[in-house]
Amino acid sequence: MGPENVQPAIVKFAALDKLLGLGRANSLWPMTFGLACCAIEMMATGAARFDLARFGAEVFRPSPRQCDVMIVAGTISKKMEPAIKTLYDQMPEPKWVIAMGNCAISGGPFVFEGQYGIVEGADKFLPVDIYIPGCPPRPEALIEGILELEEKITGTRRWPRVEAG
Amino acid sequence: MLDMLYVAAFTLGGLLFAVGPFVIAHLLAPRSTRQIDQRTKQPIECGVEPIGEAWIRYGVVFYLYALIFLAFDVDVLFLFPVAMAYNTDAGLGMRDFIEIVIFVAILALAIVYAWSKGVFKWDRRTYNQPS
Repeated sequence: MGPENVQPAIVKFAALDKLLGLGRANSLWPMTFGLACCAIEMMATGAARFDLARFGAEVFRPSPRQCDVMIVAGTISKKMEPAIKTLYDQMPEPKWVIAMGNCAISGGPFVFEGQYGIVEGADKFLPVDIYIPGCPPRPEALIEGILELEEKITGTRRWPRVEAG
Repeated sequence: MLDMLYVAAFTLGGLLFAVGPFVIAHLLAPRSTRQIDQRTKQPIECGVEPIGEAWIRYGVVFYLYALIFLAFDVDVLFLFPVAMAYNTDAGLGMRDFIEIVIFVAILALAIVYAWSKGVFKWDRRTYNQPS
């Protein structure tokens, strides 16, 4: 499941990789893919007020073959799990997964004795890169998650870090 | 001669512009993708497993429907030049009107014919093969 299974590109230089990483980090293409109420916050993030376009991640693609980032926004039911697996399989390689909201992190409020319908966390079956806590997380939190992902891709933080307080 | 060179240069540039990205993507993209369900090659992209094939038999009703659409379509096609030329010669326009009514009436016969043949009844149809 790790990146060690990925066949590398034909042409590969360290400097070129850094450049490509910079390009990818600043034009992440998430998938139009909402599972529950977190998706509403995701839509708000993409819309005018919070304007994800400022960070280059506004191109929500309706096809997994054009996506970089899968934002698992919401509760994963066991019925939905095979569909999510298929979508993840169909994304081309430089790909990342963001688990947005408590349900996608750990099952959230659905974890209780005798629970039978919910997958308790996206990392049960996906290699999650970024976790965004909240129920649901505010749009700012999603933006922060995407900035964290950019940092993970390039190794440096492009935008100033905002201290809580 | 110089013009031909320009054309050749622009054609070459256009080709490079179109083919170049494919070549670059082929060279720079990772050659495989991580899979957890072995479904990268599945043609349907909405997560759901495909139900059957696309090469199935459709009802012949759709074909008849398309034919009748042609009848209406040709009507409209010929009515555009009519609309351009209509009433340009400062007359009362009665002659133009009668001509267009005759024309549309003749074309409408196709629809009347189809109607009388029962094309507009949306049924599954079976035809007897000529023996």
